[in-house]
Amino acid sequence: MMWPFDASTESLWLALYLVSFALHAVLVSYVAAGTVYALVAALRRSADPIAERTRDWLPFLLGAGITAGIGPLLFLQLLYQRRFYTANLLMGPRWGAVVPALILGFYALYLAKASEHRRRLALGAGAACFGFVAWSWTELHQVMLDDAGWRAMYAAGERFHLDAAVLPRLAIWAGAMLALFATVAAWPASAAERRRLAALALTGLIICGATSAIALAIRRDFDPAHGWTYLLGIAAIAAALGWGWTAHRPDGPGLSVTTAATTAALLAGAVVREAPRLALIEHGRATAVGSGGLPVFVVTLAVGAAAIAWVVRTVRGAAE
Amino acid sequence: MSPIDSPIAHYPVNDFGPLMKGLVIGGVGIVHVFLAQFAIGGGMLMWYFERLGQRGLPDARTFVDGYFKVLVLVSFVVGALTGVAMWFTTIQVGARTIGLMIDEFHWLWATEWVWFAVEITAGYAFYRAGRRLGGRARLRLLALYALASWMSLFWINGILAWQLTPGRWLDGGGMWAGFFNPSFLPSLLFRTAVSTTLGALAACIVINTMDLPRDRRAQLIRRASRFAAPIAVMPVLALWFAAVLPGDSRSWLLGGSMAMTMFVGVAAGASLLVGGYVIAGLIVQRLYINGATATLLLGLAFGATAAGEFVREGARKPYTVRGVLYSTSIRPDEVAALRRTGATAADPYPLRERYPGEQLARGARVERALCDACHTMRGANALVELTRTWADDQLRLNLAKLQRTKGFMPPFAGNAEDVEALVQLLRWERDDRPAGFAAPPASPETLAQIARWLDEAGTAAAGEPR
Ligand code: HEC
Ligand code: HEM
Repeated sequence: MMWPFDASTESLWLALYLVSFALHAVLVSYVAAGTVYALVAALRRSADPIAERTRDWLPFLLGAGITAGIGPLLFLQLLYQRRFYTANLLMGPRWGAVVPALILGFYALYLAKASEHRRRLALGAGAACFGFVAWSWTELHQVMLDDAGWRAMYAAGERFHLDAAVLPRLAIWAGAMLALFATVAAWPASAAERRRLAALALTGLIICGATSAIALAIRRDFDPAHGWTYLLGIAAIAAALGWGWTAHRPDGPGLSVTTAATTAALLAGAVVREAPRLALIEHGRATAVGSGGLPVFVVTLAVGAAAIAWVVRTVRGAAE
Repeated sequence: MSPIDSPIAHYPVNDFGPLMKGLVIGGVGIVHVFLAQFAIGGGMLMWYFERLGQRGLPDARTFVDGYFKVLVLVSFVVGALTGVAMWFTTIQVGARTIGLMIDEFHWLWATEWVWFAVEITAGYAFYRAGRRLGGRARLRLLALYALASWMSLFWINGILAWQLTPGRWLDGGGMWAGFFNPSFLPSLLFRTAVSTTLGALAACIVINTMDLPRDRRAQLIRRASRFAAPIAVMPVLALWFAAVLPGDSRSWLLGGSMAMTMFVGVAAGASLLVGGYVIAGLIVQRLYINGATATLLLGLAFGATAAGEFVREGARKPYTVRGVLYSTSIRPDEVAALRRTGATAADPYPLRERYPGEQLARGARVERALCDACHTMRGANALVELTRTWADDQLRLNLAKLQRTKGFMPPFAGNAEDVEALVQLLRWERDDRPAGFAAPPASPETLAQIARWLDEAGTAAAGEPR
């Protein structure tokens, strides 16, 4: 089977982890980058239809993003259970702050939608909250990997993990979030708006590329990840070209190309992101591997997907 | 050795100050359970009112659109997020427990997640597009929303009930035997009844905020209060639930542990008040209920939920999963080995605090490993206070025979030196941490006596595993 998958149960978890994580990434990217976009538009006091639509959709997409986050949260606990729990415990209350930050962010988004007067304040608060949450996940990710440092971190009662890798990682995420936001936001957008979004997406892709290049030059740890890294690079370049095409001919097929390429880049990126810790997967928890219920999940997934499709169709049919 | 390599999972233990861990998880759990059950009952109620509206009840539809906003804003946002918070706090309180639950039931958890996604989608679709939809589509969307939210309850309820009554799962019956365990059905029905009651009470509050003449509001309230009728069968369900509990748990609820008994009393009393008002006042006498009274009743229902969740958490003691895992994250079959090696021989984490002397430091590590899950030193369930008046030998005896001291404590999972170190730590703490504390080294006779007591108590829990 294709690397990193084989016929094991762990591989099934891994596949589901990667897919649900990619879905989570799209949605929270829309939320984080969209909030910043709407904030900038509000600060400039420009009438921006993109910002308006984004504000309208943000609360729901945050709800969807959080829901989608539960998928990877579940599979992460099967793949790296001890690491994940230990990192949670070491970060302790600092980690727990993620939840109040999200509640605050939620209401800020509703407020930004409802009140023009408080919009800038609300969006500023929302952006701060989502930035904090993204940073927290990145930090947690690093703590999970650093088992050699756990004991010292515990002894010192240290709640922060100021790892040299955190900032570049966040910079790459910031770029990716811009590109993902632009991809989603471009579909309902007009021609002129698509040009602006193309510029935004290209900026995001350049941030990703430049940060990765600098990190590689410093750390010299290029990992082809069995070809997935090349696929990621090619897909990202294809996405950039698609954006160029879209800017040139906003109603042409450029946006479809970009969307397909961005999806490919996202999935390849999820695998590349996972590659360094694949060796850490905790194999051999017999209870987990032997546990039943998979057929129920598969059937429910099919039923659930059909139900969601029906809801979307029903609502669309009622539009206007 | 890195902590990741130890054969048994050891996790770093956080200190919550004077708050016992049970209180921490209890606090988050109560808010979450309350909101989630409100969402379930609210969903069903919306469907019912939509149907009434389509059959000609005036104002029903206006009410549905108004109520749904509350449902989305409060319960979705906070309900979904407190769900995530639950997960995080469960990890804080007992990582090994949640790990075991995930290992055993992850596909059911994933199933629950799908239903949750359906619930969110259907709910938000109704919230945004409900007004534009035709009657049939509205009804179907609400039915889907209500079904999906109840299905979440269905799945999660089985997993939580398994913790308390694993039933035939203990004999190797497999995951489904664990899921459809003895308390599965009573607790599912009980929670469903609670859900409809909460939905109805919240509806009464919302109806009172509607800008309508009183008689039209009264008409809506009469329908809403029917939805609280299942509260009438709650006593039966509660008795059924109590009947399937393990014998020792039941005896604690019914007087064996006064704290637990009082929580049972609070839950029963508050439910009785709510139920009495709903049945006698609203349904039989068709009284009007104003916003303040409805809020008061909802507050009482919250109190009942809170007490009920404490009972559920408390009734599991000394286990987090009955017969499988103690609250201390130690498995029953690991106790014998820990008696030989000592409680903390494999614990990789150092102490955060400094102690004068090896023995006190050892005592602190033993306390962290064996007692910290349910006690604090000076705050909630304070060890210092519980043992203040005891003589040293009395303390040694009671700790060595911990599961006989109180059946809701696990057997002491350490050796005689551990007991002695803990005894000295408790003395030092009781005397307000004197600087020049020097315990006389324990005599071989003392240690031998403790070892005999440990042997007499054995390594099994006091109660039967089921
Ligand atoms: C599973 C939870 C749990 C664990 C673990 C636990 N206890 Fe307890 N313990 C309790 C509860 C509950 C009480 C009852 C408190 C009360 O009655 O107010 C209690 C009571 C006590 C008492 C008073 C008993 C009496 O009869 O007055 C002592 C002493 C005590 N515990 C010591 C310890 C020590 C020492 C440890 C660790 C070695 C420990 N406990 C571990 C739950 C636990
Ligand atoms: C607006 C809110 C959120 C934002 C902006 C956000 C952002 C992120 C980012 C940037 C990462 C990648 C971290 C990295 O690779 O360094 C991530 C990972 C993850 N997120 Fe979120 N997230 C949000 C909310 C949530 C929530 C509520 C959950 C849980 C329900 C969640 C679950 C996860 C999981 C499980 C991972 C994978 C972590 C890992 O593999 O190490 N996220 N998130």
